[in-house]
Amino acid sequence: MFAFRNRISTPALQNKGRCLSSVATLFALCLLMPTLVVAQPDVASPSDPVCSLDTPPEQALFKMLQASAHQRYEGTVLYERAGSRQFVTVSSHIDSAGQGVLRRMNAQADPLPESWPVPFDSPQRACDVATVYLPTLDSGRTIAGRATQRLTLRPRDTLRLTHYIDIDDVTGFALAMATMGSEGNMLERYEYASIDYQSASERDLLDTGQTEYERGRRVVPGYFVLSEDADRGVFVVSDGLATASIFVEPLPPGAPVGEGAVIEGATLTYTRGVRSAAGGLLISVLGEVPMVTARLLADAVRPPREQS
Amino acid sequence: MTAEERDREALSALMDGEAQDLELRRTLEATACDGSLRDRWQRQHRVREVLHGQAASFTDIDISKGVLQALETEKPVSRNPLWSMAVAASVTLAVVMGGQQLLLPSTAGSPVPVVSELGGAVVPVLGAQPVQASLGGKALVGPTRQMVNVQDSSQNVAAVYDRLALDRYRALSGRHAAAAAYNHPAPYISYVRIPESHLDTSATE
Repeated sequence: MFAFRNRISTPALQNKGRCLSSVATLFALCLLMPTLVVAQPDVASPSDPVCSLDTPPEQALFKMLQASAHQRYEGTVLYERAGSRQFVTVSSHIDSAGQGVLRRMNAQADPLPESWPVPFDSPQRACDVATVYLPTLDSGRTIAGRATQRLTLRPRDTLRLTHYIDIDDVTGFALAMATMGSEGNMLERYEYASIDYQSASERDLLDTGQTEYERGRRVVPGYFVLSEDADRGVFVVSDGLATASIFVEPLPPGAPVGEGAVIEGATLTYTRGVRSAAGGLLISVLGEVPMVTARLLADAVRPPREQS
Repeated sequence: MTAEERDREALSALMDGEAQDLELRRTLEATACDGSLRDRWQRQHRVREVLHGQAASFTDIDISKGVLQALETEKPVSRNPLWSMAVAASVTLAVVMGGQQLLLPSTAGSPVPVVSELGGAVVPVLGAQPVQASLGGKALVGPTRQMVNVQDSSQNVAAVYDRLALDRYRALSGRHAAAAAYNHPAPYISYVRIPESHLDTSATE
């Protein structure tokens, strides 16, 4: 029944899958395919009509996601979470590797640049997000000198977090965002202190380096496999907004089974040690997801011999 | 039949593999709340192991402490991509060393007498420690201490996994950031989330 149908890794993951042990290849693992399955990868091009987003909040959601992929900008951003506050400068002007540039301003006078990729550019994303979150729109405050609207994304189930996004009235760009925990506590937030919109350069238009939004099978309600490398035991799932990475490594012989978790800002890291016929496994789920989702994702990991 | 007697009967059925699903759930919940029932559960397991010729398990030996200690003495976060394996190796070593203790009699060097001084028959089984076979008599002195240790043990296992979660966060958050950036309205935030001290080379590749 099961096939490694969608064994596509994003370039980033393909390049960064080296540090998992080759021992992990002994556990050619996969995420369990549930009854409801998307049979083929669902690739949507930006021009495809994929769903109707009729209401103003849905249209604002669509505009915000499009702006995140297309808008060119430079700015200064404040990022906060419990016990941590950072100022960073960002520029969406792509570098030679086709990525934007980030510099942390807190510690160093001349901070090293870090790179980040252009987000997925697909109308399918807005449809996916609108399926599992309920968008509402309210008037917003002024951020970085720009008038905003408050787009609230409340999850339609318990498998996601709530997001408050202040989007630019004109461009739809997300100028601030706060992510709330299941109990209404703020986990993290960012906000632009200043922003300078710019037009895209010719190179931006020719070489955006964007990765296609390719949905694989659904493993947990609303979450699709975006990439998987079963040999290395690395899986990435998303609901279009939240992302979780699942890493499977061998559990040391004799280690007790158990589970544990730690949360840093909005990122939950959940670990579970299990034993099966294939041996002991250490499953780690990292994601901006609630604990229940992390547990469900860990539940979905199966060694090949346990596939139905 | 009192509730206590019903619980005991259900526990026996559970031990014999005859408990139904609902009964199993209820019994497990009851054992979670009732210390004496948990003691009984442990004693029955010990008797069962001995009667089947197995060495009695010594649940008060806590290998998770060794694992926890190994993690606590682990070197600071390294940027070496092989670091994750180093952790796994050290955990293995700790478990192996802890496992050696499992082979030792729990009473070695202990003032606790080998033969129970309590009433009830003692079943001598070659290679096994004597245990109380009659469950109807006075409560054993040991189990209370053992239960505390069992609870300590499960707490330590949980602590070990919490530490493991932190360890895996430090080791893998860069790779998660690389994947999460594609979905975030502000993709760089995925990287900003990683404290500078935890950055590994993969986060900026």
